[in-house]
Amino acid sequence: MIRMVAQRLLVGVFVMWGAASLIFLIVRAAPGDPATVLLGPDADRTQIEQLRESLGLDRSLGAQYVSYLGDVSRLDFGQSHRLGRPAMDAVLDRLPATIDLTLTATAVAVIVGLTLGMLAGGRPGGALDRVVSACTIALQSFPTFWIGIMLVLVFALGLGLLPSSGVGTPQHLVLPALTLAFPFIAIIARLTRTSVAETMREGYVQTARSKGLGERQVLLGHALRNSLIPVVTVVGVQVGALVGGAVIVENVFAWPGLGSLVVDAVANRDYAVVQGVTLLIAGIVVVLNLIADLLIAQLDPRIRTGAV
Amino acid sequence: MADIAAAPEQLVKAAPPRTRRRLLSRVPHLVVGLYLLVALAGPLLIDYDPVHTSLTDRLLAPGSETSTGATAWFGTDGLGRDVLAQIVYGARTSVLIGASTVAISCLVGVVLGAVAGYFRGGVDAVLARVFDILLAFPAILLAIVIAGAFERSVLLVVVALSATGWITFARVTRGVALTIRERPWVDAARVLGVPGRSILVRHVLPFTAGPIVALATLEFALVVLAEAGLSFLGIGLPASTVSWGQTISNGKEYLEGQWWISTLPGIALSFLIINVGILGDQLTARHRRGRTD
Amino acid sequence: MTKTREYGRSRLVRLAATATAGAALLAACSTTTGGDDADASGASGDVTAAGTYPIESLDPHGAQGASTGTQLAGQQIFSRLVKPDPDGTLKGDLATAWKPNKAVTAWTFTLRDGVTFSDGSPLDADDVVASFQRMISLNGPNAGNFPVSTMKKTSATQVVLSSPAPDASVPGKLGTFYVIPSGVGKDDSAYFNHPVGSGPFTVDAFTPGESLVLVPNKKYAGNKPAPRRVTVRNIPELSARMTALRTGEVDILWGIPDDQLASLKGEKNLTVRTVPSSAEFTMWFNSSTPALKDAKVRKAIWQAVDFKTIIDKLYPETGRAADAPVTGVVLGHVPQPPVAYDAAAAKSALTDAGFDFSKKLRLQFANAEFRPFIQAVVSDLQKIGVKADPLEKEQATFTEDLIALKWDINFQQLATPSYDAASNLGRLYTCEANRNGYCNKQLDALLASAGATADKQKRTDLYGRASAIIWRDAVGMYPMSVSIAYAWNSDLKGFTPDASGLPDFATVGTGGS
Repeated sequence: MIRMVAQRLLVGVFVMWGAASLIFLIVRAAPGDPATVLLGPDADRTQIEQLRESLGLDRSLGAQYVSYLGDVSRLDFGQSHRLGRPAMDAVLDRLPATIDLTLTATAVAVIVGLTLGMLAGGRPGGALDRVVSACTIALQSFPTFWIGIMLVLVFALGLGLLPSSGVGTPQHLVLPALTLAFPFIAIIARLTRTSVAETMREGYVQTARSKGLGERQVLLGHALRNSLIPVVTVVGVQVGALVGGAVIVENVFAWPGLGSLVVDAVANRDYAVVQGVTLLIAGIVVVLNLIADLLIAQLDPRIRTGAV
Repeated sequence: MADIAAAPEQLVKAAPPRTRRRLLSRVPHLVVGLYLLVALAGPLLIDYDPVHTSLTDRLLAPGSETSTGATAWFGTDGLGRDVLAQIVYGARTSVLIGASTVAISCLVGVVLGAVAGYFRGGVDAVLARVFDILLAFPAILLAIVIAGAFERSVLLVVVALSATGWITFARVTRGVALTIRERPWVDAARVLGVPGRSILVRHVLPFTAGPIVALATLEFALVVLAEAGLSFLGIGLPASTVSWGQTISNGKEYLEGQWWISTLPGIALSFLIINVGILGDQLTARHRRGRTD
Repeated sequence: MTKTREYGRSRLVRLAATATAGAALLAACSTTTGGDDADASGASGDVTAAGTYPIESLDPHGAQGASTGTQLAGQQIFSRLVKPDPDGTLKGDLATAWKPNKAVTAWTFTLRDGVTFSDGSPLDADDVVASFQRMISLNGPNAGNFPVSTMKKTSATQVVLSSPAPDASVPGKLGTFYVIPSGVGKDDSAYFNHPVGSGPFTVDAFTPGESLVLVPNKKYAGNKPAPRRVTVRNIPELSARMTALRTGEVDILWGIPDDQLASLKGEKNLTVRTVPSSAEFTMWFNSSTPALKDAKVRKAIWQAVDFKTIIDKLYPETGRAADAPVTGVVLGHVPQPPVAYDAAAAKSALTDAGFDFSKKLRLQFANAEFRPFIQAVVSDLQKIGVKADPLEKEQATFTEDLIALKWDINFQQLATPSYDAASNLGRLYTCEANRNGYCNKQLDALLASAGATADKQKRTDLYGRASAIIWRDAVGMYPMSVSIAYAWNSDLKGFTPDASGLPDFATVGTGGS
C-alpha cells in the first residue's frame, strides 16, 4: 500500500513537471505577449521594448524556462502584470466559486444518477429502463452551453423563477450546477444501471430474494453497494472533465470561477495566470485520481490485498 | 465536452436485440446520413453567403418574409442573416472539423498505440507518460489554451482538438495489440522471421478495426461538441466561418426577444450528437458481441 | 456473508464520514464567495453602480492604469492636477492654475494649499513629483503620454513639467495622472489594499474584479460627497446587469448596447440618456500597401459602404455619423463635408484607378463586440466586388500587427481621453509615427505647429486644417462617433452622465424614499 502511494506520488510529480513544461511551451509559442496587451493599440515600438525588458520577457526562452520551473516548484506562479498582483492570489480568489459549482454538480450527479440507474437496473428491459436510457442518451448529447442557455430561457426569462447569471444567493447556483451535472448524471446512471443489472443476476442476490427479502432491500443492500466502486472510479476519472465542463458553464452564467479567468488570461497573454490556473487544475486532477485509486483499493479487497 | 473522458466501455450496453426493433435501430444511420448529405449538398441547394448581411431583415421571426420576398423559415439573426442557412453551413463546418480531427487522432493514435502495444519497451513507457501528462488537463481546457493562443483558423481548431483526441485511439489500439501479440499465429510469424513491421500491419492492425470504427464514431460526436463549445466561447474559428456554436453564442444577446437564434441551431446540434452517440453505441455493442462469440 | 456485509458497511460509513468532512471543509473554504446581498440598497445614501469593465487594480500608475475600471476607481480615491468635467472641459483639481512657457516646452502648475491625504498627512509638491516619477518608471500605458518628460518641484506649491519638444496638450494628458503619497513601491499590495488618497472617497472594501465599496473621505478638501456609501459592482453578464437595474439592486448602469436600450426606455422609474463621447469608429487604410496607395481608391472604398444604414440599424441610439477624425467633444474638432454613400460612383472610381478587385483586403479588429459592424461593412464592400476578409484578433496580436502594419484596413474604437486632438491626430498621423503608412509633410507641419501653441483658437484652427487633409486623402474611414448610454434610477438626484464613461459619484444624492 505504502509502496503504491509512493509510486503514484512520484508519477504525480513527473506529470506536474510535464504539464508545467507543456503549458510554458504553448503560451510562449503564441504570437504577441503581455507587453503589447498591457500597453494597448496606442503604444509605440520603443514603449513596448522598454516594458518587455522590465517584465523580463527579453531574456532567452531557456533562461525564462529555468527560472519558471524554479518558481513553480516553490508554488510561486509569478506576478500577473495585467492584474498587478501575484497570479496565485487571483487564481485562489476564483477557486472557491469553481469548487462550489463542481461540488454541487457532483452531488447532484451522484444522487440523481444513482437513483435513475437503480430504477432502470432493477428491472432491465422494463419500461422505466427504456425511459431512463433515452433520457441519459439525451443528457449526454446536449451541448452544455446550449442546455444552459435553454434553462435560462425557460426558468429565468420565461418563468422568472431563478436568476439568469451571477452569484450571491443559493438560487444563483441552481442553473449552473444543473447544467454542469447533466452529462455526469447520464454517465453515472448508465454505470449504475449496468452494475445493478449484473448484481441482480448474481447467486447471492437470488438467495437473498428466495429468503424473502423485499425488492427494495435487495436493491439497497446489495446492488447499491456493488455499484459504488464504479461510481467512485468514474467520479475520480471525470474530475478533469467536470472542471473542463465548468470552464464553459461558468462562461454561460458569468460565474466568477477559474473558467472565465482562464479564457480571459489566454486572450490577454497573461502567462502567469494561464500557468497558475492550468497547473492548479492539473494538480487537483492528479491528486483526486490518486485519492480515487486509494478509495477503490479500500472498497475492493481484491485490489488491496492482490497484486499491489 | 464534459463527457470527453467517457470511455466507450461506459456507454450503454444495448438491450437484448429484438427483431421488431431492427427497423428502429436503423434510424440513427438515416439521421446521420442525412446530416452528412446536408453538409455536402446543402450548400448547393441553399444559397447563403456568410459575408452578406441584410440589415433591413434583422431579427425576423421564423416564417417571416424577407425584403427579397423569400421566406426565412427559421428566422434571421441580428444582421439579417438566415438562421436556416447558418444551420446548413454550420453542419458543413462541424462535419469538416469533426471528420478531420477524428482522422488525424485516429491515424496518430493507432500508429503509436500499435507500436507501443506490440513492441512494448521504451516506446510504451514513453507513451504511458505522455498519456499521464495530457490527461492531467481537461481536454477542453487544453483546447482553449491552444486555440486561444494562435491565429484563428479551421486548422488551428483541428489541431487543438486532436491534441488530446488521439489518446483514446492509442489506448484502445495498444490494448488490442497487447493481447494479439501473445496469440500463437503471431508467435509463429515472429519465429519465421517476418519483420515486426509487417506482423503489425498484417496480423495486428486488422483486429483493431472494429473497436476503432466504434470509437471514431463516438469521438466524432465529442469533437463536434467541443468545436461548438470553442466557437461559443469565441475562440478558434475566424469570423467568416459559419459555426453552430457561434450562432448560438450570437443569439444569447437576443434571448429575451428572439429565442430562435440560439435555440434552433442547438436543436440541430443536439439531434446530430444524439444519433451519432446511438450509432456509436450500436457499433460498440456489435464488435463486442463479435468478440465474445 | 453477514460478517462481510457488516465489515463492508462500516467501511462505507467511514468513507461517507470522510467524504462529508471533506465536503464540509471545502464548503468552509468557499464561504467567502457569497457576496453579502443583504445590504438594503433602498437605504438612503447608498448608491450602487455597475460599470462596463471590472476594476482589477487600484494602482493608477500600473499596468491597468489606462483601463476603464482603474480610471473609474482612481478618480474617486485620488486627486489629479487637473480633471475634465463631464463634458470634457478641463478644471483644476490639485492645481489652481497652470501655464506654459513661451516655447510650450515647460508647464508650471500651482498647487492648492492645505490639501491632505485621507490619513491626515499633507499633500505637497514632493508627492506630486514622486507620483509622476513612479508612473514613468512603471512603464505602464499612461507613461507613454510623457515619453521624455521630467517633473521638478520649484517651490513647496509649484511643480514644472518639461519636455524637449513643445507640447500644448500636457494639461489634457494629465487627466489620467493621479497623485498618491510618496514612498509607495511597485506592486505595493499593503498600500493598495487600503490606499490613502485625497479624492472624495476612501476605500471601504475592494475585491478585484468584483466590487469596490467607497465611503466619503472625511479629510476631502472639496464639497463633502453626498452618498453615504457607493458600491461599484462588476456584473459581467449584460442581461444580469439589466435585471439588476430593473429590480433596483443597481442604481446606475452605463455602456448599454442599442438593442437593449429600447426595452429600458419604456420603464418609467428609469432615466435613460446618451452622452457623446470622445470615442470614434476609426478605420485606417494602410496607405503603404500598393493597392491603397492612391487616395482616390481609399475615398472610393469609403463611399462604397452605406454607413448611414448600418448606423441606423445597429447603433440607432449610441451612434452618429462622424464629421471629423475626432469627435465633437475633443479640442481640435472641425466639421468636414460628409462622404455620401454612392456604390456606383465608388465602383467606377475604383475601376478608373485600376484597382485590383481580385485582391482580398485584410480588415483587422480586436473585439467580438464589433463583429456585426465589421460584417456589415464587409458585406457592403462585397456588393461592389471589393473583397475584404474580417480578421478578428486577440488584443496581443492585434496591437503587434497594428504597429507592424500587417493589415489593409484597421478598425478601432479610438478614444481621446485627453479631449485634445494632440494625443490623437498629433501623435498618430505623423510620418515619424507611421501608424497607417500615410506620410504628408504638409500635415506634419500643421500638426507640429498645433502642438507648439497654447492658444486654443489657433490650435483648433490648425487641427481643422490638418483634419481637412486627413479627410480629403481618406487616411481612414471615419464612420461614426460613439455616445455612451446611461440609465439610472430616477430617484437619484444630481447624477451627471460622463462623456468618458467615468461618472463622478460625489454629487449623487438618493431621493425622498
